[in-house]
Amino acid sequence: MIQISSVEKRQQKKLVILWSITFLILFPLLVTLGLLMRLNQGEWMRMSPGTFYALMTLHGLGMAGSLFSIALAAISYLIATRYARLNIGVGYFSYVSVVLGVLGLAIASLYAKFGAGWYLLYPLPFTGANWPAWSTGLTIISIIVLGIGLLINCLHVLYALAKEYGGITRIAGWQYFKKDPPEKELPSVVMISTISLVPAVLAFLAASVMLIMYLLKYFEPSLAFDPLLLKNLTFFFGHTLVNVTMYIGVGWLYTLLPEFTHRDWKITKVTAIAWNATFFFILFAYFHHLYMDFVQPLPLQYAGQLASYFSAIPATAVTMFGVIVQLYHSKIKWTIVPLMFLLGTAGWAIGGFAAVVDSTISINKVLHNTLWVPAHFHTYMLMGILLFILAFFYYLVGAKEDPGKDQKPKLGFWLFVIGSYSFLLMFYLGGLNSVPRRYSDYGGIPLKNVHETGAHLAQAASVSICLLLLGLMLMYVTLFTKLLRSSRPAAQNETVL
Amino acid sequence: MFKWKINLIAVLIVSLLFYLLSYPLNDWLSLTMPRHQLLQLPAMFLLGIILNACCPNFEVKNISYGIAGLIFIMASLIFWMLPRSVDESVIHPNFNRTMHFNMLVAGFLTIAILRNTIFEIKIVFLGMVSAMLLATGVALRVFDMLLCSSFTIDQQKETGLYFILIAVGSFTGTLLVLFKSLNHK
Repeated sequence: MIQISSVEKRQQKKLVILWSITFLILFPLLVTLGLLMRLNQGEWMRMSPGTFYALMTLHGLGMAGSLFSIALAAISYLIATRYARLNIGVGYFSYVSVVLGVLGLAIASLYAKFGAGWYLLYPLPFTGANWPAWSTGLTIISIIVLGIGLLINCLHVLYALAKEYGGITRIAGWQYFKKDPPEKELPSVVMISTISLVPAVLAFLAASVMLIMYLLKYFEPSLAFDPLLLKNLTFFFGHTLVNVTMYIGVGWLYTLLPEFTHRDWKITKVTAIAWNATFFFILFAYFHHLYMDFVQPLPLQYAGQLASYFSAIPATAVTMFGVIVQLYHSKIKWTIVPLMFLLGTAGWAIGGFAAVVDSTISINKVLHNTLWVPAHFHTYMLMGILLFILAFFYYLVGAKEDPGKDQKPKLGFWLFVIGSYSFLLMFYLGGLNSVPRRYSDYGGIPLKNVHETGAHLAQAASVSICLLLLGLMLMYVTLFTKLLRSSRPAAQNETVL
Repeated sequence: MFKWKINLIAVLIVSLLFYLLSYPLNDWLSLTMPRHQLLQLPAMFLLGIILNACCPNFEVKNISYGIAGLIFIMASLIFWMLPRSVDESVIHPNFNRTMHFNMLVAGFLTIAILRNTIFEIKIVFLGMVSAMLLATGVALRVFDMLLCSSFTIDQQKETGLYFILIAVGSFTGTLLVLFKSLNHK
């Protein structure tokens, strides 16, 4: 661990608090958009399909973008205060880019009702659109701005780590493949960050090709690209980025959980092999999004299923085992942080399992484009990555030093967990009952049973979301107060975590 | 003293090549789209790079100026790929010479900036240029309408194919730079 001055640590803490507060404001707003969508599907309120899809687009893009951004900001903070020097200017540049990008997206979707979905699947943003053309351009440019900010941040973290630990092969943990143990221990978070951020860089480069093509199409509408090529690029970018978000979250699980269990969580040969395998397979797992595209070469479909299995299992299995080893007979104090880490790991596993089920070709034939799909990614996002993020926030505000006073957030936490899992259950049940996803309402479904089931489940989900929001607000009370207190100048004399 | 003479000779050779490409060979190079876009334009860019090698002391060390320079280079490349610009440069030789000079300056500045800029900017610039080349190549391949009235659709598609190949090479180069830079001990 390198020596980092308290001034640098304070600067980094200020930046991460800024990120945290922005995220904490944005997140419930995006959840509310989800609530409105479920209310409409449950026929408890009426909105036009145009409004529904605009909300869906902002909800999806906003969640994917903000979760990745906060995950990156948090891992950057952990690295900058412990393992390598990061330039604070790069952090602020990334923050401003993301804020500008999100603002652009909000204007395009809320004001102009741009509603092509988070994936902007070609040719959806251009063909038969009922939103003004400028909003398509604004969305593309906003994603480019947001992407450049995040790409520079990813590259900066990778470069700083490589500089500190002696190159890419070392930070990827390849020295553990040798028979003899390495001379210098590599912190787990360094290896996991590398395994996560290199694919993220590749994903951003793919996205830049896709977005430039979109810009060309925007300026010259008579251009017609190959939809399959663009779908491959879209999902290589989108799928990889969402997975990377999850893995970054696991990075701080490896770093922070040992502080509560008082046990080391070192890299071993098995851990290094598992995570490096994940690095390789994560790049090819996205093929499972193209099962229904019959023109996609068949070997790629099989590769999609295999890569989905291989990318999920090694890192997950090794991490689960690691968490059990950490916790077993550890006499840990079950404060909110380790609780969130434990349930976050469970959420990751449950959502991951549901994803692997759906990536199985024979099952996908049945579950494709049903509510099973949002069920699985909401599980590992809401009950996985979000819990990791909240755990990080509580750690940041000093919940480790002050474990006795966190009764209110604990109540909020359990309300949140109950609300979230009942909300997710409605999605899973919808999937099992063949309720389609991405329908603004189910009124047009000719099968009465599916229509009614979809609407009833959406109603139950709406109630669950209210419960979830209530839990979140209870947690916010302490979290916000402490975050704001930490950002004040008086707090500069306090210990910097 | 000896190095100074070599640099002077190199500058003279670059000037001669610039003259040859821009004047006597201009008509031949403007005859087809691949020649114009894939020979004349990159040749001028390459001459700029060689010219910079002759004056290694010219470096852009300030990162802000470097970023501004890279934006100028990117904008130059985009401008000279626009169908209207291509048409104008084929029709008016002097406009074409403006492109030659612009590319020479762009090539000259690219090395002067990339040699000193930070890793993050280098990768983003190289990645974005590669992405731009690939997207342009694909667009030229799939477009069934004549973009530049001075050329034919077949030439347009042929240019697109070569753009894609160059972009693949450029992406590979970007990845090599990325991993090489990350592998410093």
